[in-house]
Amino acid sequence: MSDGMTHEQAREALEALALDVLDASERDAVMAHVATCAICQSELAALEHTVGELAYAATPIPMPVAKRDRIRARLVARAAADGASREPLAAVTPLRTESEGAPERADITPLRPYVKVRRTFGPAAWMAMAASLVAILGVGAFLKASRERDAARDSLARVEAATGTQLAALDSLRATLTARERMISNLIGPQVAVMTLASTDPASPTARMFWDQQRDAWTFVAHRMPMPKSGRTYQMWLVTPRAKISAGTFMPSPDGEVMMQATYALPKDSLAAVAVTDEPMGGSPQPTTAPFLVASK
Amino acid sequence: MNPPSTPEPYVNQGTAAPVGGAPGMGRVEESADEALVRRMAAGDDQALGVLYDRWSALVHGVVARLLRQADDVEDVVEETFWQAWRQAGRFDRTRGGVQTWLLTIARSRALDRVRALRRRREEPLEGDDGQVVAEQAAEGDPALDAEASERRRIVVAALSGLPTEQREALELGYFGGLSQTEIAERTGQPLGTVKTRMRLALQKLRSQLQVLGSDGGRAGGAG
Repeated sequence: MSDGMTHEQAREALEALALDVLDASERDAVMAHVATCAICQSELAALEHTVGELAYAATPIPMPVAKRDRIRARLVARAAADGASREPLAAVTPLRTESEGAPERADITPLRPYVKVRRTFGPAAWMAMAASLVAILGVGAFLKASRERDAARDSLARVEAATGTQLAALDSLRATLTARERMISNLIGPQVAVMTLASTDPASPTARMFWDQQRDAWTFVAHRMPMPKSGRTYQMWLVTPRAKISAGTFMPSPDGEVMMQATYALPKDSLAAVAVTDEPMGGSPQPTTAPFLVASK
Repeated sequence: MNPPSTPEPYVNQGTAAPVGGAPGMGRVEESADEALVRRMAAGDDQALGVLYDRWSALVHGVVARLLRQADDVEDVVEETFWQAWRQAGRFDRTRGGVQTWLLTIARSRALDRVRALRRRREEPLEGDDGQVVAEQAAEGDPALDAEASERRRIVVAALSGLPTEQREALELGYFGGLSQTEIAERTGQPLGTVKTRMRLALQKLRSQLQVLGSDGGRAGGAG
């Protein structure tokens, strides 16, 4: 169809345009006419409304509860981050110094994958202790990170505007901002699996692992973690059917908070569980104790 | 870490005009859904959650009609509500209700996905097989509130009243994501015949659905 479409020709195609069933060239020609024709614009608006109603013909299909809740939680978390970023800087809360503790104090070692099994606990033992995978995103850590991100951004702007005597603080804030931005993206990505780790300790710490499968990023958040005994540390394990891979060691803050991140590429289907064990300071090539926290997939 | 958020209880406060409220009657009181969209535009993330609780099943149903893979369906459901969040400030109540706005977004995103998949795989579009919508339950649906159930009943009845060949062409286009040319190829009908059928079908539906305020007016209580 040529670009020089008459009003009558365009009018005859408005239904198809509203339904979005025209081929591209014809659609362009009709739209070119509509852009200059108030009558067709009005008619198209009415037809589009009718088309919009057709969706009601589809049978509503409730999603499986776990998926529904996972999507909901992710949407709300994304919206919270987006809503926070919409706020003017003046409305951003000041930097909360108490939030600095957990990640900075955690003793995070670089990821060292160990694939040789030296001493192992049988998969059945691990699985028996495992809680089920809970596909609900805990948004608390995310919101906290979001607030910290915004606060860091605010502080960064103020520091930049000041004299050049605060370069050290500037670098620190930049680092904080970068870290928070990275963590937020690791928590809210479209392919983030969330595992809740069940505790075998009566003090009942709570923990979640966020696995961003697109970025191979692992973010571990825990609360009420008891301090390990002197000379001991916690170690995170990614458990596959063939190996237990160290994802690093960590220590909780004095108030029991933990937040650690690691990067490791793992095929989607190969993860059997994530677990935390108590190990000698410095970590072990393979777990030497029964898991303290564990979640299976 | 906070526990997973509990869906905020939704109470329809009866602020919406009844279905069938005549368009052009002046400003209609803001409906509960419109209030949610207004809160979303103001940055209230919990309002998005409530809107999702109310309409995810219907959006899911629409998207599932267009897409076959569960992963794609879920992605598009999420994309739909995310787009609603991002565009809440541009929602125009004079152009229709919140549900219709949401469903339009859902179909548009689903069509984008269908066409992208087809380009990637260079395979013929699967599309909807033109099954008769009328055979689906038009009774009250537990996933919908009374107003939405009534709206659905009216739409299904209007579709059922179309001649079979018109309805099939319409459904292949609407739920199958096929262009008129593709529908002609699939059905073996001349392109001109397909065009005429689809045009007549939509004109009839437009007339039938005026009761919903679909003719450029605002559907009472639709949003």
